[in-house]
Amino acid sequence: MTGLHIEQVEKKYKTAETDLKDSFALEPIDLAIREGEFFSLLGPSGCGKTTLLKLIAGLLEGDAGKIRFGDKDLTHVPPEARRFSMVFQQSLLFPHMTIGENTAFGLKMQKVGKKERLSEAKRMLRMVGLEGYENRFPEELSGGQQQRAALARALVAKPRLLLMDEPFSALDPGLREDMRELLSGIQRELGVTVLFVTHDREEAFELSDRIGIMSDGRLLQVGTAMELYEQPASSKVASFLGLKNIISGNIRAGYFKSEDNGMEFQTIHKMADGRQFLILRPETLRPIVSNSQAPIGSVRFKGAVSKLKFKHGAYTAQIQAGNLQLECALSRDEAEKLEPAQAMELYVNQSDLQFVEH
Amino acid sequence: MWRKSKPYLLLLPSTGVIVLLFFGGLFDGLLKSLGYFPAIGENQMSFIAYRDLLGSESFWESLRLTIRVAAISSLLAGILGGALAIALFMLSLSSKTKHSRLWQRLFQLPLTIPHLVAGYVIVLLFMQSGLLSKLLAAAGIIKEINEFPVLVNDAFGWGIILAYTWKEVPFIMLMLYPVLARIQKSWRDVSRVYGAGTFRFIREIALPIMMPSWIIAVFIVFVFTFSAFEIPFLLGVTYPSMLPVYSFQLYTSGTLAERPEALAVNIILAVMTIALGLVVYYFSKRWKITKGWQ
Repeated sequence: MTGLHIEQVEKKYKTAETDLKDSFALEPIDLAIREGEFFSLLGPSGCGKTTLLKLIAGLLEGDAGKIRFGDKDLTHVPPEARRFSMVFQQSLLFPHMTIGENTAFGLKMQKVGKKERLSEAKRMLRMVGLEGYENRFPEELSGGQQQRAALARALVAKPRLLLMDEPFSALDPGLREDMRELLSGIQRELGVTVLFVTHDREEAFELSDRIGIMSDGRLLQVGTAMELYEQPASSKVASFLGLKNIISGNIRAGYFKSEDNGMEFQTIHKMADGRQFLILRPETLRPIVSNSQAPIGSVRFKGAVSKLKFKHGAYTAQIQAGNLQLECALSRDEAEKLEPAQAMELYVNQSDLQFVEH
Repeated sequence: MWRKSKPYLLLLPSTGVIVLLFFGGLFDGLLKSLGYFPAIGENQMSFIAYRDLLGSESFWESLRLTIRVAAISSLLAGILGGALAIALFMLSLSSKTKHSRLWQRLFQLPLTIPHLVAGYVIVLLFMQSGLLSKLLAAAGIIKEINEFPVLVNDAFGWGIILAYTWKEVPFIMLMLYPVLARIQKSWRDVSRVYGAGTFRFIREIALPIMMPSWIIAVFIVFVFTFSAFEIPFLLGVTYPSMLPVYSFQLYTSGTLAERPEALAVNIILAVMTIALGLVVYYFSKRWKITKGWQ
């Protein structure tokens, strides 16, 4: 068995006043991260992702559960003996050490000789684009350069697992993009296992092999970016992933009826009667234009264009269908044929209908 | 013009007093140490007092004692103060903030006690007939109080060393703790993740960060101990006496003709203090001890 295994790990924080009422709880979590994998924990602030990361690092002690790496049980191993590395939101370089000494810190703790560790640090600094910066002090570097140095410090120690706690969130957007590319390239080159914490969907989707979505101390779903996007397990996951067109309704005798009664259609999906959320991804909603026809069996909606938007080379239209506001992705040709307030018809294939229970 | 000179004019009364009392006194002392003493008809300046002083065995004995006492007490205070500051800091890192504050206040208590009182405390505790010897005798550890070592009014200066160490440890802590408090808790996390246990964290992170302030704090204690009067006067012996006491003895018990020598002792003390300050400044610059930690 290789990689990181988290089994039923949980943590409760007590309130300062009473010690009785729990202010936050990380529900029991099971998770396996394969060796060499880039895994991201994605969730809003305060959802428990940093707590989970610190539990894995050993900086916090869990109330229950086990943490193993390979066959080794690390649950009660102190952080200094786990051979993990961590990059934090701030670079947290030691101000009294040069960039070279900072980078070589992990190797020094591993009792690697001075010459060897400084040469390794130099090699790693070259890798992150900081060649020639060995003798400078952290305060002489920009924020982005400091974070690169922190990355070099983490990688040079040859960690079994690299933990990253929103490492690029304090950087400018352009710099963040550069750092993502740098990290992605280095991770592929070195094959290091990465556990990356972020609240930035784009960042997680761009970098990760798999993503775990967290909310309110729970791990809601784990999957590849595509799996999560196309088959979200719940409306909460869909909503956090920024999916539009989440419509609550009910299934009765094979028919879906939206809560506002504005939408009703027969579905081929086999589901028990009861409350369901329908998720319509904007790109699956197709406009029916004069020379096209909706495929047989598809679901059709009527509405009017309320707004046309153009963003990053992509066109979208907001369609008012009854009381529902739907978002529809369009090609340039399709968008040019539409005008605000224009009545239009849309269809979606049955296979693209996504239902979730909660 | 008025706006520019206003701050200086407002500062004039206080600077005037400082210049008059401090530099004026120093200058007057320098003139008198050079033999310029119109009150006794001496209007010529010479280095006779310095020559006599440097040729006197009593002066060298006093200087040796002064350096020994100042060095040992400042080092002891430095080591103890540094260790306690680190202990308090580690306690605060372990998130027992309340305990850490309580201990900090407790350790700061000696700061509130005047040096003269501290001297009497040492007398009462460490004299052969003091509390400690009586307790040891009562516990049967020593047979009679006479067996208790002479720690007060002893030739080596242990009583003075004890008093200064006890009094200056909180001062060192007061200087160091704010510096250590600037160390982020996250650095402890970083160092742990990269393999540093408590001891290595102290050695690699806390000590180097604390060192510049530690050197300055120990230097201040050294200079203070080097030129302080009341504790050596209370807890020292008549011969050899520490330099400030030696100067006082020369000034009060000798004739008017011996006063230049007494003042020469003070000038030498001042010159040595300035020289030591320059040495510390030179090395602190050379070692770049504040580099990277602004």
